[in-house]
Amino acid sequence: MTDMGKIYGRSPAGFAADAVRRAADDAGLALADLDGLLTSSGVLGGVGLDLQKDLGLKDLRLLSEVQAYGSTAGAMVQYASMAVRSGLAEAVACVFADAPLKEKTSSGAAYARAAGASGWRGLMAAAGIMGANPLYALAARRHMDTYGTTSEQLAHIAVAQRAWAATNPRAQLRDPITVDDHQASRMIAEPFHLLDCCLVTNGGIAVIVTTAERAAHLRRPPVHLLGWAQSHPGYPMHQGSDFGLVSGAAQAGPAALKMAGVSLGDVDVAELYDCYTFTVLLTLEDYGFCAKGEGGSFAASGALAPGGSLPVNTGGGQLSSYYMWGMTPLSEAVLQARGEAGERQVPRHDVVLVSGNGGILDHHSTLVLSPHPHA
Amino acid sequence: MTTLVVRRDAATEKFFDGTARGELLIRHCTACGAHAAPQFEACPACQEPTAAWVPAAGTATVISWTAIHGRPGDDAPAPQRVVALVELAEGPWLYAALNGLRAGERPWPGMSVNVAFEHPEGGEAIPVFLPAA
Ligand SMILES: [Zn+2]
Repeated sequence: MTDMGKIYGRSPAGFAADAVRRAADDAGLALADLDGLLTSSGVLGGVGLDLQKDLGLKDLRLLSEVQAYGSTAGAMVQYASMAVRSGLAEAVACVFADAPLKEKTSSGAAYARAAGASGWRGLMAAAGIMGANPLYALAARRHMDTYGTTSEQLAHIAVAQRAWAATNPRAQLRDPITVDDHQASRMIAEPFHLLDCCLVTNGGIAVIVTTAERAAHLRRPPVHLLGWAQSHPGYPMHQGSDFGLVSGAAQAGPAALKMAGVSLGDVDVAELYDCYTFTVLLTLEDYGFCAKGEGGSFAASGALAPGGSLPVNTGGGQLSSYYMWGMTPLSEAVLQARGEAGERQVPRHDVVLVSGNGGILDHHSTLVLSPHPHA
Repeated sequence: MTTLVVRRDAATEKFFDGTARGELLIRHCTACGAHAAPQFEACPACQEPTAAWVPAAGTATVISWTAIHGRPGDDAPAPQRVVALVELAEGPWLYAALNGLRAGERPWPGMSVNVAFEHPEGGEAIPVFLPAA
């Protein structure tokens, strides 16, 4: 993992190369030991197949750019695992990097450059929809109208994650916040206040996937991948769509847990994709940590915060630590599974659940990680 | 908040010809009878490859909504713009601006709305929705 945040003058490809070097070094591998590389980047792109040459990697047996938006990191780990299991490659680096922040330019302007003004996209922009904020806001409002979820309940998610971030030295925002702070923060797209929304971050993160046998002899404690799944619901833009009410987590979660041979009650810590507070709430419901429609009261109970019954987003998540898409929950999950999360380390970390979410609740990936090879 | 000007492309030519004459065109499948949102070139219900264009009745209900807040100016309050996800009477969903609300007024799910058209200078006519009388 590179340094994170307002780090200017570096390209996404530069961050990606740095992240892979650091991940290899952390594992005790030389770059030449890598025989597979999966790359990904944010909406502005910039990390592709040329990363191989940037890193001087020779004779790779697997090389691809992967794109499933916020579910990419989880998907990359799944493809890397299948490659390793099949013998296609033995040590696969999976990397994400992004550098949307420019000096003296707002992040909104940075992303607006990516939006077109012609055709169907132009029609969306003319309606007032640019970027993800209004679309997730429409999803959240629908959930509120259907189940009675409130903005104050969403606030509890932001507050809990900030409390976790306080002890994460890598977190961009560490000052404690209250529900009142959340309610007083600038309105972005109703019902979302500023404190419902993720950060913007420059940086890169890589993980290396290899066989359990090889991992056992590397520098760091291995993290075993016990289960995985994806789900892409394909909501119709039509009467009867579940948009905003259910996400792919409802299918991917149980499938990944079943593959891992564990149940929901075995999960010690959950690192959930949090482009918005609402995404966490919906994922908690869809994974089954509470009944459908009760995510708001579950969050407001304090369960997610330090000392709560279900530690969630223990590094502060994308709301408070750093916005590296699916690599944010995955990187914190690896630290927690290894027992290397410092002050914020949860005492029990035998089963770590990780989610990724992309598009507008369109794409979901789930991973079940553990420091043990079997559940 | 200023409305962006939209240009047509090959995929949206017929749609914007429709908005120019005050018609909201959607897709209608001659094979199975399903309606679909205008961007579907093939019928999403039965995969018939060419869905025909038909004018929608223009009546819809609100499925969900948001109000997008801009940044406040030097001595002006932050501009706000209400955007809705609406369900047309024929079934397809559309994103569109919801105009005609009083300052601070907000829509609700199930609210009846009707299509209208805005004609920004230099761009294509775009559909917006207004509260039904
Ligand atoms: Zn059809």
